Amino acid sequence: MAGTIIKERWTGKVLEMVIGRGPSAIKVGGDGTLPFLHYEGKMPNRPAVALEVWDVEPEDWPEMVTGPFAGVLGDPVAWAGKCVEMGADLVCLRLAGTHPDNQDATPEGAAATAKAVAEAVNVPLIVTGCGIEEKDAVTLPVVGEALSGKGVLLGCATANNYKIITTACKEHGHNIIASTPLDINLAKQLNILINEMDLPLNRIAMDPLVGALGYGIEYAYSIMERSRLGALTGDKMLAIPVICFAGQETWKTKEAKTKDNEEWGTQDRRAILWEAAAAAVFAQAGGAIMVLRHPESLKQYKKHISALMKPQVY
Amino acid sequence: MPKYTVQFLPDNIELTVTGEDSILRAITKANIPLNASCGGKGTCKRCKVLVKKGKVKSPAGSEQEKGYLLACRCYPESDLIVEIPEESRLTEHQVALDGGLHLDGNGFGNEDTSVYREVSLKIAAPGPNSTESDMSRLVGAIRAETGIEHLRPTLDMLRALPRALRQAGGEVTVFLAEDRENNSVEIAGVEPGSMVNKYYGLALDLGTTTVVVHLIDLGERRVVDARGAYNKQAMYGDDVITRIIYADEYPDGLEKLREAAVSTINGLIGDLAQGWEIEPEDIKAAVCAGNTTMIHLFLGLTPTNIRLEPYTPVANIIPPVRASQAGLDIHPQAWVRCVPGVASYVGGDVTAGVLACGMALSDELVLFVDIGTNGEMALGNREWLVSCACSAGPAFEGGGIRHGMRAMRGAIEQVTIEPGSLEVKYATVSAAPPVGICGSGLIDCIARLYKAGVINRGGNFIVDAGSPRIRSFAEGKEFVLVWAGETGSFTDITISEAEVKNLLRSKAAIYAGIRSMLKMVGLPFDAVDRVVVAGGFGRHINIRDAINIGMLPDMPLEKYTYIGNSSVKGAGMVLLSRRARDLAGEIAGKMTYIELSTGNTFMEEFVSALFVPHTDLGLFPSCATSAK
Repeated sequence: MAGTIIKERWTGKVLEMVIGRGPSAIKVGGDGTLPFLHYEGKMPNRPAVALEVWDVEPEDWPEMVTGPFAGVLGDPVAWAGKCVEMGADLVCLRLAGTHPDNQDATPEGAAATAKAVAEAVNVPLIVTGCGIEEKDAVTLPVVGEALSGKGVLLGCATANNYKIITTACKEHGHNIIASTPLDINLAKQLNILINEMDLPLNRIAMDPLVGALGYGIEYAYSIMERSRLGALTGDKMLAIPVICFAGQETWKTKEAKTKDNEEWGTQDRRAILWEAAAAAVFAQAGGAIMVLRHPESLKQYKKHISALMKPQVY
Repeated sequence: MPKYTVQFLPDNIELTVTGEDSILRAITKANIPLNASCGGKGTCKRCKVLVKKGKVKSPAGSEQEKGYLLACRCYPESDLIVEIPEESRLTEHQVALDGGLHLDGNGFGNEDTSVYREVSLKIAAPGPNSTESDMSRLVGAIRAETGIEHLRPTLDMLRALPRALRQAGGEVTVFLAEDRENNSVEIAGVEPGSMVNKYYGLALDLGTTTVVVHLIDLGERRVVDARGAYNKQAMYGDDVITRIIYADEYPDGLEKLREAAVSTINGLIGDLAQGWEIEPEDIKAAVCAGNTTMIHLFLGLTPTNIRLEPYTPVANIIPPVRASQAGLDIHPQAWVRCVPGVASYVGGDVTAGVLACGMALSDELVLFVDIGTNGEMALGNREWLVSCACSAGPAFEGGGIRHGMRAMRGAIEQVTIEPGSLEVKYATVSAAPPVGICGSGLIDCIARLYKAGVINRGGNFIVDAGSPRIRSFAEGKEFVLVWAGETGSFTDITISEAEVKNLLRSKAAIYAGIRSMLKMVGLPFDAVDRVVVAGGFGRHINIRDAINIGMLPDMPLEKYTYIGNSSVKGAGMVLLSRRARDLAGEIAGKMTYIELSTGNTFMEEFVSALFVPHTDLGLFPSCATSAK
């Protein structure tokens, strides 16, 4: 029976962001439709996926996720190289060592690490601080300067430290991650504040601080869906690609950390599924950049995305 | 239980208390109005006192700087001498009259009848064969003169009647007091001769934060004078919820709150009576408009269920009570009536406001916004009315703002800040040296601080603004509006980052309330023909700045009117006009109350309004040019 597919027509679209410079640069965002509805609008860029690399050897990662990186942990350059081999579109360097409770590394030390990683790999870089607002406000400008001209994605900026990080991004040609706790209004407010400092909107990525599967993922989903609907209906301040730190959230959960047991089955299968499924949910909600930890989840997620990127036939 | 004598300075009041009474309780017993907005829970840290002599027991760590103690946290262990500093007190104040005291607008003309009036009559002597009683002749004469059907004599009047009728050859003056229903009138008294005594009524606005009284000459139908004071209930908490909890938690809590309200009003009455050299007995009627909780507390009605779902008041429409029962220091037999309310959170003050702004008779669609501790709004015209309430907090009445104050002498009511140099220009009430900032000044302040780039849209101070006016202190950053040398209080007048955020929350609540209400009736801002703004802002409010900070919707300025204290105006109209009384009843009866606390709309709107002017900048096209 022949039917007519009803198609939505959108007036707006998500802005397109360029991460990196030169031939290895990649584009994210640019969607003119709800995720993967290719018959309604264009989705010019496949959602990108990054693997996480730390500047210091992580102490709280489960063995299962450190295993694949045995031998390179604590050597961020080698670790980043391995991530590229494993198929990551980008490397997300987390400067965990700058945390006052970790090694309290100096901004200059962190900058040197970031520079070494940037020069060693041929994929674009995401660089995030330790998450302590005051410390990141000191670290990130120095890192930004060291990576000047490389067009990295630098973060995370919050309502309390965005000014200094925005200035660094503006001066050194980087993109910024604007991080707000699961609230569409707060997200939009931070985008406005950053944009009013004259950083163009197409250099901002939103981090809605998503939770893992089973940990309020539905909230993240609805916030992301609403911001996408805002973007498609012409709200410029929400027409911004979304970055999701799905790996960091997943590997905190007991579902990913618990070893093999009778009730829950093998950790291998369970933990990978947990990370890949969360990532798939976020992609479906409109996530443009996914940051994962395990190479196997990366593989499965990419396979899933490739299938979703095939144009539908109607 | 040991008893101790406590002496309070500088009042020099002495009283005996037990070791179980906190110093705050002792101060309350001494009837000294104190600042204790948390209701004595030790959290607001405003009830600071200095123990000059004697021993008190107070929890470790509760000491404040310079040896001050919190009155609510310490208990006597010996006889005491306690000094109560000025800043811990609730000070009374003058209310800046906001002009429009004429009450004949909206078609309530002079031919209309007041709730109380005195009528002179000539009553013929009984004929030789008449068996008609004195009362019957009096009633007949009143009916012939006034057309009133139902007349009820009082016993006091009947006792005075025979002599009054015969003393001046049948010339009498009768006192007519409308009581329960508009067409039932009590013959409250009779006096021989044609009296020319003045007689008065009171219009009361019983607000959570402030109480305002208008003294009205009922014969001449005009406002004689006005007085205002902070509500003494503030010593039991800043907002209605804290006070309801206080009334619930202490066995004598409700009575204490009732006494505080009554004593606030009586203080103002005493002041007015003294100032105009009138006897309190010459005040023959009172009309009180207040939110539902305030009316409950004023009349000693249990407010408990107002706070609990489904928010049930004892009554929204309360029949008039005698002044002696209500405890007011006016004629003991005078009727005190409360303007009828709609729901637990939309009280008689809103009914009075809707009445005063004329929307219930209007063909145009009117939005009424009363900016107070409890922000209330109504929307409608002669056909329909809806209302809602949102808790805006006392910030715009000066509550919770260190240098905040009501619109009274020396209050900064206008502010401009020069971008760049950050030079501040200001105007004060009565052009007196500045002592604080009132609501309209605070609105200007936020608008101008933003425009000058001192704060960002989120209310955060932009640190690198580099000016001596911006400085850091223990609790964050602050902006110096007036240097100590120019003030009337010899301390710098400042506004801090935390206070800016507090004001942003207040303005966001008001805007979110307006928008939620419009959303629920499915109307756009464009549909509104007229906006009437009310509140205790004194003489004026800068509507442009109120729009710039996103408190009021971005509509053409010519649609706006400011009417000052609409609650006391409405109460005055009820006092003076039968049509207004009827209309107040109709308004309360037909107004549909929208509960904002159910559903997500309000919260969502609130968070998006916590920004200058709003997260959705498209709602404020006239503020589009942003300050960098």
